[in-house]
Amino acid sequence: MNLLEQAKEVQALLLNDARQAGADLRSIENFRLKFLGKKGLIPALFARLGELSVTEKRQIGQVLNEIKVSAENVVEQLTKNLSQPTSTPEFFDFTLPGIIPDVGHPHPISLTMQAIISIFREMGFGIEFGPEVETDYYNFQTLNFPDDHPARDMQDTFFISSKVLLRTHTSPIQIRTMLKQRPPIRILAPGRVFRNEAINARSFCAFHQVEGLYVDEKVTFSELKTTLELFAKRFFGSAVKIRFRPSFFPFTEPSAEVDVSCFICAGKGCRLCKNSGWLEILGCGMVDPNVFEAVGIDPHKYSGYAFGMGVDRITLLKYQINDIRLLWDGDVRLIEQF
Amino acid sequence: MRVNTDWLKQYTEIPYTPEELSNRLTEIGLEATIVDESANLPDSVIIAIVATVDKHPRADRLSVCKVNTGEREYTVVCGAPNVTAGQRVPLALPGAVLPGGQEIKATTIRGVFSEGMLCAEDELKLSDDHSGIMVLDESAPIGMPLREFLQKNDVSLEIELTPNRPDCASQIGIAREISLLTGSQLILPPVNLPEGNVPTSNEVAVVIEDAEACPRYAARLIRQVQVGPSPQWLVRRLNSVGLRSINNVVDAANFVLMETGHPLHTFDLAQVKEQKIVVRRARAGEKVMTLDGMERSLTPEILLICDAVRPVAIAGIMGLANSEITDRTTDVLIESAYFNPKVIRRGARFLGLQTDASYRFERGADIEGVIYALNRVAQIITEVAGGEVCRGIVDNYPGVSAPRRVQVNYRKIDELIGMEFDRTWLVDLFRELGCKTERITAEGVSLEVPSWRPDLEREVDFCEEAVRIYGMSRVPSAKKLSIQLRGAVDERYDRIESLRSRMMAFGFDEIYTNSLISAEKSHLNFDGYQPIALQNPLSIDLSHLRTALFPGMLQAVKNNINHRRLNLRLFELGFVQLRDAASETGAQEKLHLGAVVCGETGERHWSRLMRQSDLFVVKGLIEGLLKNMRLALPTWNPIERPECKILLKTEIAGRVLAYLGEFNPTFLRELVDIEVPVFFLEMDVDLLLEQPVGPVKFRELPIFPAVQRDISIVLDARVPVADVVAKIQSSGGEYLREVLFYDLYTGKNIDKSKKSLTFNLVFWALERTLTDAEIDKAMTRIHQVLNEEFQARLR
Repeated sequence: MNLLEQAKEVQALLLNDARQAGADLRSIENFRLKFLGKKGLIPALFARLGELSVTEKRQIGQVLNEIKVSAENVVEQLTKNLSQPTSTPEFFDFTLPGIIPDVGHPHPISLTMQAIISIFREMGFGIEFGPEVETDYYNFQTLNFPDDHPARDMQDTFFISSKVLLRTHTSPIQIRTMLKQRPPIRILAPGRVFRNEAINARSFCAFHQVEGLYVDEKVTFSELKTTLELFAKRFFGSAVKIRFRPSFFPFTEPSAEVDVSCFICAGKGCRLCKNSGWLEILGCGMVDPNVFEAVGIDPHKYSGYAFGMGVDRITLLKYQINDIRLLWDGDVRLIEQF
Repeated sequence: MRVNTDWLKQYTEIPYTPEELSNRLTEIGLEATIVDESANLPDSVIIAIVATVDKHPRADRLSVCKVNTGEREYTVVCGAPNVTAGQRVPLALPGAVLPGGQEIKATTIRGVFSEGMLCAEDELKLSDDHSGIMVLDESAPIGMPLREFLQKNDVSLEIELTPNRPDCASQIGIAREISLLTGSQLILPPVNLPEGNVPTSNEVAVVIEDAEACPRYAARLIRQVQVGPSPQWLVRRLNSVGLRSINNVVDAANFVLMETGHPLHTFDLAQVKEQKIVVRRARAGEKVMTLDGMERSLTPEILLICDAVRPVAIAGIMGLANSEITDRTTDVLIESAYFNPKVIRRGARFLGLQTDASYRFERGADIEGVIYALNRVAQIITEVAGGEVCRGIVDNYPGVSAPRRVQVNYRKIDELIGMEFDRTWLVDLFRELGCKTERITAEGVSLEVPSWRPDLEREVDFCEEAVRIYGMSRVPSAKKLSIQLRGAVDERYDRIESLRSRMMAFGFDEIYTNSLISAEKSHLNFDGYQPIALQNPLSIDLSHLRTALFPGMLQAVKNNINHRRLNLRLFELGFVQLRDAASETGAQEKLHLGAVVCGETGERHWSRLMRQSDLFVVKGLIEGLLKNMRLALPTWNPIERPECKILLKTEIAGRVLAYLGEFNPTFLRELVDIEVPVFFLEMDVDLLLEQPVGPVKFRELPIFPAVQRDISIVLDARVPVADVVAKIQSSGGEYLREVLFYDLYTGKNIDKSKKSLTFNLVFWALERTLTDAEIDKAMTRIHQVLNEEFQARLR
């Protein structure tokens, strides 16, 4: 067989093998050795060039070169395919952690506050704000806390001057709203409030409240009950039981405290509810006629209800956080849990 | 306020277990909790009956008792003076460990074998009474563990009284509320007082100088009393509500205080000069020594009870040491008075003193109950201390007034509560409350309010009584809510919340810090704002209101570093208060956003190279927030402050929008002891929210491909990048759509005074594919302009 015929055969074999070559390293190497290796088919062809005349050498050498280049191209192409990710690596550690997007975490009080507000917004409550530095007039007097009345002992107050103080509750926002807006009024007033109380695991000198107020013709206690029952079931879960018990606030009459059945023990009694089965979550009542008088709303024509809750307290209960000071340290070990 | 079930039963029937009673009281607004003092008693302390008492053969003060538990008889040696046959007593059997830790053993005492111990109340930690063994009444079943018996029959309840209910600050007051629940009668102990012949008015004179402060003052005299220890029943009653026994006369007054709620005071008549009582205001600077042994300096706000020459009591608050009842007292002057609540409250607050008396007077005592309490205490004193009561009462009552009347309309009650009340039930209830009813019609009733209920002034107060006793749980919940459609859309709230969530999306953790900080920290702000100080701070660390968020946030950074949390991105949304004479409160309130950053940026991950935080993290934060609101990016001006290494400020129309920067290491070390670089942002959110949010406006998308070109230039290192970007934009022609600065290089191959900047430029046209020639032309123009403006050359 002359060299040219032999070269054609190698070329045909090359095309055939290239089509069938496996996509793994070993097959590629076998392919390379078979055609391009020292003892491979192509070097063997080149070795026979010496048998030929100068003219034949030039002519057939060109053909051999083409075969060699195409063999090299096949190897290159196969190797390239090999490094594509579609091929299976020897070992893939899928236990390596993924990249969690770097998002921040909300403060738990913000979470509670947002949850409370969104429930009442659905019930048509708008949102009003008021200042943290308040006057005695808005914080106490118009809310039916007369001077020298023992009701003032219920709220230890930080004073800035004899007539200016840090608000002890969000209720002054009720007054400010009723002074600038005529009924019907249906508002929610969130905010930070202050009490001059020793700081320990259970109490802090500042906390947050959400206050609600609804004033219109013929507002009833019965409607207040429905509103708060709906809230409690939405916030604590539909299985929760609600208890209204009479209490006293100067700015409402009648007044009530609202308890929910303990969501840890379902009312059986545990450490969280101090074995009572109930957790106190808010205070409420029908707006006292004296408050209406103070803001110039006719108490014979209008009635209303108000309620207020301590957001920090509810947050501690809900997440069973054992020390209120943790809410104020800025400790990311706490924040990251939310 | 404490009540005791055994005591309450003297005045009304109680058909409830202690748990039921506690729940029922709570349901009518008297929040009650059971004080279970017997919970720690072991079951081996059982009720036994004393069969015989014999003298110990070899010890004068001891007796040898045979006691029976029903099962068997025990011989017990006892040292108590009061042990007698027939008594039912607690017997601690051998092996019992008493609440105080004492273990009872069978032992031989002076030759007599004793099989246990008869216990006094203090040994069982039931009270501090050690006058003798505890004696139970006839109803105590022999053989029953003492704990079981006490838990059924003799339970104290702690009641949290609201300030509107002074009438409930007594056993009778609570018994009256129980009778409202049960419908059974309230029985007040009848007072039959044998009197002597000497008229009280011959012996004592009462002068009221300030009738507004003291509308009523009544007195009685008892001669020849025998001051000494109280009998056991009296000690037990006082102990059951948390009071200690002092002597029989004082105990009698305290007993009646706890029984009726009316405060009384007893004087040693021998110490009341000229047997005269003068009620007057204190003089400024007048000094007295109160019963608690404290010397107190007074003001005219305080009302005094004086004799002919000197003060003998601070009215309604506390007696003075000079006239107290002692062992030598023979004649007792009893005071039963009514003082103006405001006067007592001011006085008690001035003195920083709250007593059982002041608590009741400042909430409103019963002015018509003065005489009953006076007679009742006189009766008890004669029972427990003997003596003869002088005839009649000196009753100085300048403040007498007609009883309060309230007209109640039934429909008003129905309308406020939202249900229809039975008319007969309402009238019965008002009567049971102690009201006299008149003019009962189909519409309503006229009520005469009992003197012990100062809180019942208006129709609405009776509305509360109706719903309180009917039961708030029984009031039906409305089936329908009327919902007021809101006029306002709460844009402010929504924008604040969106800012909050955007901050979290940017990877920042939210913290809350105290609005109250130290004077030093409260002065930290960059605008010279003055802080507001509290008059009555909790501590010097919490004496002022913050004027910026960063001082408190730096403390939070320090707290985290202490816990080895070094990579922090924290934010807070909170109010600051700035002193402002023009405002009605003297304060100007601003909502601020604060952010602090230190350590590495972002969470560590095995595949990631971490970067240290720098100024551009906080700068990018505010740029991101503004971009999100589609507001223009601000221009920054550097300013010099000792607190900061770098401080940049940006303003909108002359008002500061934000500061950002890096704190000075010395400042950080001295303020909060932090050793790492901290970068911060402090922004005025109110000002930010005043800016209208730019609307989202759709820009048509090109169908034809965009062309991207890079340009690298070398130019003077002091040329701001923003200026270069602006020039590229203005010179790039209408098809240049985006200019992205993406590389800054200095160092090898670049002159020290120069820097190399690289930009990526994007060109496209909406209607066609741009040609290479057009882009080349634009690029040439840009090169030209940059060269003219900044002597920039291509790299």
